[in-house]
Amino acid sequence: MHKLRLKFSKKGPIKFIGHLDVMRYFQKAIRRADIDIKYSEGFSPHQLLSFAQPLSVGATSDGEYLDMVVNSFTSEKDIMDRLNSVCNEGITIRAVRELDEKEEKAMTLSFAAKYEVRMRQSSQLPAGWTDDFMRFLSRDKLPAMKKTKSGEKEIDMKPMIFDCRPLTDGDGVELILSMNSKETLKVSLLFQYFFESCGLDFSPVYLNINRADIYRLFTDPDGRRYIEPFIPANDDERFYLDG
Amino acid sequence: MNYKLALSDETLLSIEKPERYIGNEVNAVYKDKDKVDIRFAFCFPDVYEIGMSHLGIQILYGLFNSYPDVWCERVYSPWIDMDRLMRGQNIPLFALESQDKVRDFDFLGFTLQYEMCYTNILQVLDLSGIPLFSRERTWDDPLVIGGGPCSYNPEPIADFFDIFYIGEGETRYRELFDLYKDLKESGISRDEFLRRVSGIPGMYVPSLYDVKYKEDGTILSMEPKFSDVPKKVNKELCTDLSNEFYPTKPVVPYIKVTQDRVVLEIMRGCIRGCRFCQAGQLYKPLREKSLEYLEKIAIESLKNTGYEEISLSSLSSSDYSKLPELLDFLIDKCNEKKVNISLPSLRIDAFSLDVMSKVQDVKKSSLTFAPEAGTQRMRDVINKGLTEEDILRGSRQAFLGGWNKVKLYFMLGLPGETDSDILGIGDIANKIAKEYFETVPREKRGGRTVEIVASTSFFVPKPFTPFQWAPMNSKEEFLDKANKTRKGIMSQLNQKHIRYNWHEADATMMEGIFARGDRRLSDVILAAYKKGCIFDAWSEYFKFDTWMEVFSEAGIDPFFYTTRERDDDEIFPWDIINCGVAREFLLREYKSALTGKPSANCRQRCLGCGATSYGVGVCMEEKSGA
Repeated sequence: MHKLRLKFSKKGPIKFIGHLDVMRYFQKAIRRADIDIKYSEGFSPHQLLSFAQPLSVGATSDGEYLDMVVNSFTSEKDIMDRLNSVCNEGITIRAVRELDEKEEKAMTLSFAAKYEVRMRQSSQLPAGWTDDFMRFLSRDKLPAMKKTKSGEKEIDMKPMIFDCRPLTDGDGVELILSMNSKETLKVSLLFQYFFESCGLDFSPVYLNINRADIYRLFTDPDGRRYIEPFIPANDDERFYLDG
Repeated sequence: MNYKLALSDETLLSIEKPERYIGNEVNAVYKDKDKVDIRFAFCFPDVYEIGMSHLGIQILYGLFNSYPDVWCERVYSPWIDMDRLMRGQNIPLFALESQDKVRDFDFLGFTLQYEMCYTNILQVLDLSGIPLFSRERTWDDPLVIGGGPCSYNPEPIADFFDIFYIGEGETRYRELFDLYKDLKESGISRDEFLRRVSGIPGMYVPSLYDVKYKEDGTILSMEPKFSDVPKKVNKELCTDLSNEFYPTKPVVPYIKVTQDRVVLEIMRGCIRGCRFCQAGQLYKPLREKSLEYLEKIAIESLKNTGYEEISLSSLSSSDYSKLPELLDFLIDKCNEKKVNISLPSLRIDAFSLDVMSKVQDVKKSSLTFAPEAGTQRMRDVINKGLTEEDILRGSRQAFLGGWNKVKLYFMLGLPGETDSDILGIGDIANKIAKEYFETVPREKRGGRTVEIVASTSFFVPKPFTPFQWAPMNSKEEFLDKANKTRKGIMSQLNQKHIRYNWHEADATMMEGIFARGDRRLSDVILAAYKKGCIFDAWSEYFKFDTWMEVFSEAGIDPFFYTTRERDDDEIFPWDIINCGVAREFLLREYKSALTGKPSANCRQRCLGCGATSYGVGVCMEEKSGA
């Protein structure tokens, strides 16, 4: 029995496919790829498969993660090639890592996510909005009402924003936001308050969102907290939280 | 794969289920449009989830796309929210793969699976910007062609179609495409082209026929306008299904659809000859596919789709002669891959129960019987060879095997039905419950008890069945019968264990009108569409009152088509078509029905229906003589 973690991107029209259907998509892809996945016991066995975090419908991604348990496999690359040969619908497996047996699920370990946010045509934001946005984020506090299971509660969004910078091409921003079991900040909530501060109507469909990656939390030998993608593409993707 | 969508992100995010409109599913076919000669848009005129569940489109989609010069794409009815949006913003209807406008295609094909989709055909034409009437179209419009069960009486929608394809689609499309390639650029008129099309077997071009009516409204004559147009159109049929194309790479939808599994069609046709059943006549004679062929198809399809379930498809799977061998093979292969097997339309007996206990969770699954009528007398009338003893024995064996849920299907309004036939429904349901209590002792029930669901639908006489002459019940009669059925069930000793459902009578009446309707109904359908009728098959959108209003405005009596008894020699609107089964045979069967005389099935004795002229399938087998 082996635990594997896969990093994949989701691009193109498949961005309109919701989380549960993406799961069903992978279940079928795994069968097509003939991967020796492990099934649960019982009368209706299911594949041992879990995703790090749902991605909202309409958003693309370069860094989604799924964990799977297999009975056997030849190599990480073989798993990646097999899946990529049966997935041509906008899903691309970018990396596969075998995990330690005791490794917790990506779902439990997720700590933050990096997003690139641009505006769709329908949004009324004037050009140069990114300067306004940076100014908005520089406020001491960013109070917001967040919907919870039991109603609404007031939160401060500010500590949930780890980083923000304008994209180099100037028409959007890159954000690192908290995304864990304790606190999760949705891109759309943050922008709802930004639009409000500009006196503009808001709809989540204005936002063109790409999730760049999902991060987990580490502490270095000096006791400094940093985050890093589950499977980094480069060595320099470490991001220190406390400056 | 195609990243360029017809709709903006904002639009797709503001409607229900954007997945219905984006294409790009697994196994969807993409071609370079500059490298094909023919672009075919294939439409199932209902919502995506229904249309994607249909095997026929998957077969022809795969077949057409296997031709290098053809690119076949899919179209479904935009759901109500999208329909409104497209009209509001003048967005033309597009095909899923290329996302190109349907109007720019060479062909627009419709599969006609049920009568209640007729207004949706107009919706698709309208949203595409294609003139609704065949006579108003030019070479700038696609050729509009229909096929499937309702094309065996296409007259109510004849004016909207350029061509109907009568029979199984595998055989003649290639000829049609070749003729189109030869003639399209030759300067020939569209009318002249259609006249040439009528020379291809199976092609019915309705505009080439004149219909004259008698004073009483029945048909006087239906004659070709030209001497080179055939007087009758013969059904097309595949003679060798084991060497025929079958799609082992069907398109796999992202979202859950009604039929979300590999569908393995094991045979076509049926030996049973139930007198109410249209499919039983249309697909005659029964032709089985070889075991080796099916094994190969099953393995390839599972491999290419990744589906976790496979289902056998046929009109009566128990009649497949190699069923035990096929199931052994599938159980073996599927266990290995954790694939489920679903077995609809199996006769309940010791064999099928044994198989079902291997592939299903007995506690969750239910048994299905379709006695169709409440008494043996009535079952003899309809020639349904299922006896009360069969049902009770099957139930007993099932209860011993751990089952406790039973579903029963009946029809109300069958010819010659009496109150005792109606009350027989409650009676048989009660006997099944009694069987349970006598078979399973209290200590073995494990806190469970027997659950019986009896459902009735209202009988609609269909063309090319022995009952094509029979009067249909009125809505009032139907509702009265449903009420009697309910009371009959309520009066039973075990009534607490029996649940009863019945279908809607209004929709059944409309189905009855169109099933045996004629060409004069085109105007009614158009008027209803203009008054907002679409998705009539969906009870929440079906507007019965609007339909009745339209009939009265058009001065057409709907009961002419339903409750009227037809004379033996009446000319029917569908007589222009030869479905392979002789009218004399159907009439003979009708007379037998009225005297309560059952007939043999095709494996026992040949009844001389006429299908033997195809020279294939069960017609060529030796008979058991029973």
